[in-house]
Amino acid sequence: MFDLFTPQQLATLRALANRIIPADEFPGGWEGGAEGYLRRQFAGDLRQLVETYRAGLDGLDAEARATGSPFAAMAPVEQDQLLVRVEQGAVATQWAVDPAAFFRMAVTHVAEGYYSDPGNGGNRDGAAWRMIGFEVRG
Amino acid sequence: MNRYDAIIIGAGAGGGVVAGVLAEAGKRVLLLERGPALDASSVKRDHLRNQRFERYGNNAGPEPAANPRVLVTPEGEERVLYPTQEGYHNNAAVVGGGTLVYGAQAWRFLPDDFRMASVYGVPPGSALADWPIGYDELAPFYQRAEWEIGVAGDSVASAGIWPREIGFPMAPLPPGRKGERLREAAAALGWETLAVPLLINTEPYGGRPACTRCQHCVGFVCPNDAKNGTHNTLIRRALATGRCELFTGAMVERIETDAAGHVTGVSYFDGEAQRCSAQADVVICAAGAIETARLLLNSAGPRHPHGLGNQHDQVGRYLQGHYYPAAIGLMPEIVYDGLGPGVSTATVRFNHGNPGVIGGGMLADEFIELPISFWTRDLPPDLPRWGMANKRFMRENYRRVIRVTGPVQEIPSPDARVTLDPKVRDRWGIPVARLSGTTHPETLRTAAFMQERAAEWLRAAGATRVWSRELSLQLSAGQHQAGTCRMGEDPRTSVVDPWGRVHGHDNLFIADGSVHVTNGGFNPVLTIMALAFRTAEQIVRAW
Repeated sequence: MFDLFTPQQLATLRALANRIIPADEFPGGWEGGAEGYLRRQFAGDLRQLVETYRAGLDGLDAEARATGSPFAAMAPVEQDQLLVRVEQGAVATQWAVDPAAFFRMAVTHVAEGYYSDPGNGGNRDGAAWRMIGFEVRG
Repeated sequence: MNRYDAIIIGAGAGGGVVAGVLAEAGKRVLLLERGPALDASSVKRDHLRNQRFERYGNNAGPEPAANPRVLVTPEGEERVLYPTQEGYHNNAAVVGGGTLVYGAQAWRFLPDDFRMASVYGVPPGSALADWPIGYDELAPFYQRAEWEIGVAGDSVASAGIWPREIGFPMAPLPPGRKGERLREAAAALGWETLAVPLLINTEPYGGRPACTRCQHCVGFVCPNDAKNGTHNTLIRRALATGRCELFTGAMVERIETDAAGHVTGVSYFDGEAQRCSAQADVVICAAGAIETARLLLNSAGPRHPHGLGNQHDQVGRYLQGHYYPAAIGLMPEIVYDGLGPGVSTATVRFNHGNPGVIGGGMLADEFIELPISFWTRDLPPDLPRWGMANKRFMRENYRRVIRVTGPVQEIPSPDARVTLDPKVRDRWGIPVARLSGTTHPETLRTAAFMQERAAEWLRAAGATRVWSRELSLQLSAGQHQAGTCRMGEDPRTSVVDPWGRVHGHDNLFIADGSVHVTNGGFNPVLTIMALAFRTAEQIVRAW
């Protein structure tokens, strides 16, 4: 995927995925699945959403910069505060896409990458399934 | 060369049974299926593309891009939809139909399910009606389906609920942790329960092995062929006679009639999209409630300007499926045991006799829920959809919830219907199905009542929290689609006669859920199979 986005957009996407599913003893959303999943899906089922993602990631980063720093460089607690505003559509800058709809979409895609089968490119090493206690037998 | 005794359109639950019975009775049969023949080696365990969770595709057809439909929403908005989209009301298009990938619940309808209008009266605006046949008429054919396709169930408990001559050929699986909790809770409430009868081998049966209790049952192809459908029973038997030809990738365009209105055969597109024709003495349509209605409407001609069997504007009406009220309970202890299929314990106490509502439905625990499906539909409505709270809930509680759900018998509405869309065509240039209307509002009241009973059961089982989703008035059809060519004595209010023969066409039959007058408060597949046995036997007898 990674030629589809600027380095800055990618850094924003990674930071976003890791707030949607934060790391604890188990990996965050990006390392735990979204990276591999989205890499595949942006060349597949989600191809037509690449432009929306670019616009949404730019919007999120601009929203963050309006408060002082790029989204990826903010402290997690500040990122969460910003995302609560985005989720409610209460943004201070002009976005090219609906911020709340973009965020809802990203939440769903990150969860798909994290919790669906590793055959879809995400759920790295089956960590999400180990975490929740879903085992494949037989 | 293209002449057969019988042509069957659709190789699913109904068509597969008819193929087996006719071929074994010595008839030369052409079985046309628009989908392919698949097996476990050709169907991946893809959690985002399966019959249960079709986020980006399906695993049992139909091919999304080739098969649009139009949905008219309750607000009057027209949407062109493709098979994996919500509102399309997809069912499998593959050899075996839904039986290749279903959860395989094998319920008989109850005697009162065949006489809903007599028991409850007819609510204004509804089309609630009695069937022209009763339970006793169908009972021998239920038994045939249970034995020839293969059902595991609790013979003793079942005999206390349904009049039946003999038990099931196989014993049920043990209930598992969730089922045990629910059985204890039901006993405390004074509710009777029984093991969910399943078309799954619990011991070697029919030349195939027993279930290995994997986690990918409903929505997937069984990895060791222990799930019993028509693909591995009646269709295999039909092919073994040497008298049944199965054409896959065959999309039927029209049922052909002669100047007298007698059905002569079908025209269809083969796998290479070449238009072909075949002739037969008898045609049996078994394409599912939406596609069967569409095909009858698309077969209009000079003698039948409104389509076959449609002289009284009945074809396509009364489309119904099942509302699925559900409650989810959070248990203090781990109840997940990872043993598939997962559904084990039901009560039929609330199928009838509920104060203030019409009918009801069966309630049971749930199949093993795959993690992304659980995340999508089972989390508490007030839980944040993201962040540490969401992750913690998944981590701590995936194995602590019990989901209770079940199909509610719908009150049919004449406005819930299949017509032909005047503009949109499929890949073969055939006008597509246009779906419109909603179920009758009484269905919603019954569903709300059942959702309360599901919650009550979970609370009695010790759930510390119980939640549900709000139900709204909508069209329901989906995998349990039924009702569009309903059975009756009177051609003015029905499409087929009590044998499944289309009124006004002596050699055209329907053998799928279309003929259901009402759809029971149960998964309908065993009823589709039983009716197909009965219709096929009648075709042979009257030949």
